[in-house]
Amino acid sequence: MEFNFGLIAQSFPLLLAGAVVTIQITALSVGFGLLIGMFAGMGRISKLWFVRFISTVYVDFIRGTPLLVQIFLIYFALPMIVGTRINPFVAAITACSINSGAYIAEIFRAGIQSIDKGQMEAGRSLGMSWGQTMYYVILPQAFKRIIPPLGNEFIAMLKDSSLVSVIGFEELTRRGQLIIARTYGAFEIWMTVAVIYLVMTLTISRLVDYLERRYKIDDKH
Amino acid sequence: MISIKQVHKYFGKLHVLKGIDTEIKEKEVVVIIGPSGSGKSTLLRCINYLEQYSQGEIIVDGIPLTGEANINKIRTEVGMVFQRFNLFPHMTVLANIMLSPMKVRKITRIEAEKIAHDLLKKVGLSDKDNAYPEQLSGGQQQRVAIARALAMRPKVMLFDEPTSALDPEMINEVLDVMKTLANEGMTMVVVTHEMGFAREVGDRVIFMDEGRIIEEGTPTDFFTNAREERTKNFLSKIL
Ligand SMILES: Nc1ncnc2c1ncn2[C@@H]1O[C@H](COP(=O)(O)OP(=O)(O)OP(=O)(O)O)[C@@H](O)[C@H]1O
Ligand SMILES: [Mg+2]
Repeated sequence: MEFNFGLIAQSFPLLLAGAVVTIQITALSVGFGLLIGMFAGMGRISKLWFVRFISTVYVDFIRGTPLLVQIFLIYFALPMIVGTRINPFVAAITACSINSGAYIAEIFRAGIQSIDKGQMEAGRSLGMSWGQTMYYVILPQAFKRIIPPLGNEFIAMLKDSSLVSVIGFEELTRRGQLIIARTYGAFEIWMTVAVIYLVMTLTISRLVDYLERRYKIDDKH
Repeated sequence: MISIKQVHKYFGKLHVLKGIDTEIKEKEVVVIIGPSGSGKSTLLRCINYLEQYSQGEIIVDGIPLTGEANINKIRTEVGMVFQRFNLFPHMTVLANIMLSPMKVRKITRIEAEKIAHDLLKKVGLSDKDNAYPEQLSGGQQQRVAIARALAMRPKVMLFDEPTSALDPEMINEVLDVMKTLANEGMTMVVVTHEMGFAREVGDRVIFMDEGRIIEEGTPTDFFTNAREERTKNFLSKIL
């Protein structure tokens, strides 16, 4: 068997288009995940027990079950509940956002808890509410500290998003499968797919390093 | 101004305040002293409800400390200065002072800026308005913290060992600001180890030990003829 460079060149544009879809689904999922995670993360340390309870159940359930199962659950079970079919894109984004949100919740919780307790007390003693102090004082400081773990979560999501290929959503991995089904060039294509993932993850981790350094300098002022 | 009646505080099983009774009058400067762990900080923190007391009653300026609305109201009337400053590190000095008046009192940015500048002048830091807290010395940070609390126009100021985290050469710049405040008629409750300050500015000294008020009196009385054995013991160690 010979290594077929022609095949790589030929399918590269198709794979790149798939990579763009992969980035889109990752960015959207982490974006929604950030919103979900921020509230769930605050919920985990709420004074109200039922808020804490709901947040904890959510985080535990998602982190304790495979993403693949969550994707199937959303794609196959949700239509039975809502009564209509949902398209793979919506299912993929929903599953990945909910999944990402749980991991980001823990990142937020740790970030918020790493801020000195005196900051909340100072805010409260000035008459600001818990929410105001969170918004103006705690979260801006926590954000800076959670950039590195958020970057890691982005990279993890980028890789895990390959799982949505199982519901036929055409991101990078699914594109690879489809090309292989046509051309039988399994080794060449999987190799190319792997390299594209690697380039994306390395780029992002460098970007995160850069942001982290910049914020560190920012902190010093 | 502040009425404290039979206040008890437990941390779990630990009985930290054991029936505190006292009244603090308008414009009075009360200095609280006592050994470590005697409950001084806890009492101070109960006054603005950073700590929830277990029993008893605290009334500040006629408002009983019950319900979330009342608590926030009281916190706008009661300023607090902490041992470790607790400035917001991601904001400039000016922004630190302006934040709460704008968000709680809902005044405009222009008004808030004017208040902030006036207060910075008062604490002698006019040129530091655009600095970040970590660019300032401890003494300067504490003066900003005082300005930040004053920006809410509080009726009472609570100080919890405001000079304990400072290098000796910076203590006076903070005490001077506090003296000015006292002379202007601010009602103040100060936990401190600075006996000079207590003598000079205090109207009353309260000695606490093991969660109780052991003895109180005017500074002259208190420092020269303490009645209780425990007080004498404590004073002999620190004077
Ligand atoms: N959040 C808390 N949880 C449990 N115990 C606490 C808490 N805060 C204070 N305590 C305990 O309550 C007691 C009184 O503490 P407090 O801080 O009021 O003393 P203090 O007189 O201010 O002492 P210091 O001079 O060291 O500041 C101490 O035994 C302390 O360990
Ligand atoms: Mg204390």
